[in-house]
Amino acid sequence: MLSYIIRRILMAIPLLLGITIVSFAIMKLAPGDPASLMMDPTISPEDKARFMERYGLNDPIHIQYLKWLGAMLQGDFGTSLIRKGVPVIEMIMNRMPNTILLMVVSTVLALLISIPFGVISATRPYSKLDYTVTVTSFLGVATPNFFLGLILIMVFAVQNNWFPTGGVATLNAPFSLWDRIHHLIMPAFVLAAADMAGLTRYTRSSMMEVIKQDYMRTARAKGFRENKVIYKHGLRNGLIPVITIFGLMIPSFIGGAVIVEKIFTWPGIGLLFVDSAFQRDYPVLMGLTVISAVFVVIGNLIADILYAIFDPRIEY
Amino acid sequence: MKLRKASWLLISLTLILSIFLTACTGNQAEDPKETPGDDGKKEEEQASGPQQGGDLIIGSTGAPTVFNPLYSTDTSSSDIEGFIYDSLISSDTEFNPTMSMAESIDISEDGLTFTAKLKKGIKWHDGEEFTADDVVFTFSIPKDPDYNGERGSAFEAMESVTKVDDYTVEFKLSKKDASFYPVSLSYYILPEHILKDVPVAELGEHEFNTKSPIGTGPFKFVEWKDGEYVKVEAFDDYFKGRPYLDTLTYKIVPDMDAMIAQIQAGDIHFAAGVPGTDIETVKSFPGVKVESGLALSYTYLGYNQKNELFKDKKVRQAITHAIDREAIVSSVMNGDGKVAHVPESPLSFAYNDDVPIFGYDVEKAKSLLAEAGWKDSDGDGILDKDGKKFSFTVKTNQGNKVREDIVVVLQEQLKEVGIEAKPEIVEWSAFIEQISAPNWNYDALVLGWSLSTFPDQYDIFHSSQMEEGLNFVWYSNPEADKLMEEAKQILDQDEYKAAYADIYKMLAEDQPYTFLYYPNVHRVMPANLEGYVFHAKDDFFEISKWWLKQ
Repeated sequence: MLSYIIRRILMAIPLLLGITIVSFAIMKLAPGDPASLMMDPTISPEDKARFMERYGLNDPIHIQYLKWLGAMLQGDFGTSLIRKGVPVIEMIMNRMPNTILLMVVSTVLALLISIPFGVISATRPYSKLDYTVTVTSFLGVATPNFFLGLILIMVFAVQNNWFPTGGVATLNAPFSLWDRIHHLIMPAFVLAAADMAGLTRYTRSSMMEVIKQDYMRTARAKGFRENKVIYKHGLRNGLIPVITIFGLMIPSFIGGAVIVEKIFTWPGIGLLFVDSAFQRDYPVLMGLTVISAVFVVIGNLIADILYAIFDPRIEY
Repeated sequence: MKLRKASWLLISLTLILSIFLTACTGNQAEDPKETPGDDGKKEEEQASGPQQGGDLIIGSTGAPTVFNPLYSTDTSSSDIEGFIYDSLISSDTEFNPTMSMAESIDISEDGLTFTAKLKKGIKWHDGEEFTADDVVFTFSIPKDPDYNGERGSAFEAMESVTKVDDYTVEFKLSKKDASFYPVSLSYYILPEHILKDVPVAELGEHEFNTKSPIGTGPFKFVEWKDGEYVKVEAFDDYFKGRPYLDTLTYKIVPDMDAMIAQIQAGDIHFAAGVPGTDIETVKSFPGVKVESGLALSYTYLGYNQKNELFKDKKVRQAITHAIDREAIVSSVMNGDGKVAHVPESPLSFAYNDDVPIFGYDVEKAKSLLAEAGWKDSDGDGILDKDGKKFSFTVKTNQGNKVREDIVVVLQEQLKEVGIEAKPEIVEWSAFIEQISAPNWNYDALVLGWSLSTFPDQYDIFHSSQMEEGLNFVWYSNPEADKLMEEAKQILDQDEYKAAYADIYKMLAEDQPYTFLYYPNVHRVMPANLEGYVFHAKDDFFEISKWWLKQ
């Protein structure tokens, strides 16, 4: 398996390189530039031109890319154009813990809710409970993140004041774990909702397949209790396709975080991405692109490894 | 089984670790000012006077970038600079210069030497005393060949700045400059004792600007959490007296919708720039009041005068006649503004609307267009001339609801006189790039100018500013050029006003823009906030005198 992992990592290198080339090109070809944004009447054109020159923004695209790549390979992501002189890596690292926290919590939430629901639905197909779970899942899939987020903010934060409207912690208050969790619940739930729905459906159909299998009948015939049959013999096999789907969902967690972070003022890398895009802060955008691409590659790798753990038939 | 245990352990560890990580970078600033005990009591006795204490959370949709006035160019940064730093002079609600850290400023006969006497006993936040060295240091930076900020042009006329004694500074100008006193001298002063050893080339990216700014202003910097907030606390030794409020938290929110939701939920107490279209909603929130007034800005429809369509003054006048600006203000903006005729705010001392006025008059518009040679020869309802139709696009920036509506209204109104105006809405950064040098890729645009407290139209309408400057409509009138150049040399306010009266007449006659309206600015604040005074340009005017009534 180790050689497989190494092979996968080596394969990721040209992939990541390709991603940076495409992102760099798209970013530079998009209209607008950071100097134009300094449209302050008191700034002279000479000063603006000097800004472009100083940050090498007048060089041809491929030169700019090679310069960036060279520095990046030495671990230097450059400094922000907008936040003068602040290293990109520092900006990203400031925000990263918030995003990881949100992603981990919402992932766990999605798994904790969807797998039992899927199993229950599968064991009692076409019951009232199954229909309820099915309808809820479809609603979950069909509701866009931003819409659900806004509704929750409107109902639970603005009208009833049960939850904060956004942010990671109450301003001007000392640190408290409960306060943190309180701020985390709504964004984590919204981020989990769409995936929860999908995962429930996959678990359900996969379990229904498994339940029909011969070895399940054998297990029952041996006299195991139904619960043990389902959860010990069935679930392990039933989860294999779910893990694949879950691995494929990891990139969407990062994408989803952009919207959820914006709605809930959650200062993670998603929000940083949006702000940097509007400000044309190229170094920050590129740094974020590289880091999220690495995340996606690692996410897929983890999914493959988990796959191997849960399914002993798979060998590398 | 073992493996599964291990993976659960991994998941829970990551979870705990990430909570811990966030906690570490999180809000650990214990508020050292949380003992208003004796202060509070004292104030209670004199119940009617200002009360000390309280935290004000200020909402902003823009994130700050750098807290150094010689390098920052955005509003959020300058808001916070206003809390931390102070300047030699500031301005009152009528934009007249007032002394701040300067005791007096003397101007020589020839208008080329300014002598500033400084107040004594002003302290920096770290306890050092403020002296002439700080002033000389600050004003020398933009003149340094290594200076790489974007504020050089404000100090162009200044030739030298020298210390006479500890409390006297002399500025020498190379040429007369009407804006030197009101504009250049109002820059915030930086501490020489902290920054003197930093090479000027590195100053813009120095840690001081983001991690530990020190000023002489009413509030001391506490911390900046990127993407979340900037916090400042009252400076006890502020030379105009300790502020009544204990802390200010400048909270960053992603957009206006989030801002309004947070105002309603009480998570934000003060917000400036709430759009007029949302003001009625905000007014209905409990514990909130709204203060409004005319903003120091105007919105216009600009014509690209490189384009054949708009070269003729008569055509531009005709379009202005064809636009019902009263209707735009009353219906698109719910009456939240005032029709404009000149590129200067009524709030300015130089405002003068004794100019040619082109009111709403469709017939007049039609006849002017006919005079200019435009007629509908093929009967399709659109005017044409030499086989070319009078059809153009009107660009504006995305995200400004009022401007987006206006371009649609313009399309309707101009159709009446046989002109086809097609609306086009473009994202801000792309919009700016398209319209400005060297692209000038637009026919007409709807945009606004935020005005300086000191009126000067040179940068926007002088023909020398066409190639690269802000005269991106390519307006050129040699006579107006001459007047604007002369005005730059006038130091007397009344003479300046008289000179500008002529300039405005000329600009109104030429209609390089159709001046649409002056918008209002709305500020939302706690109902119990006292001491607030409206200043069109400064959202936080004299914030050290604000207090919360308990």
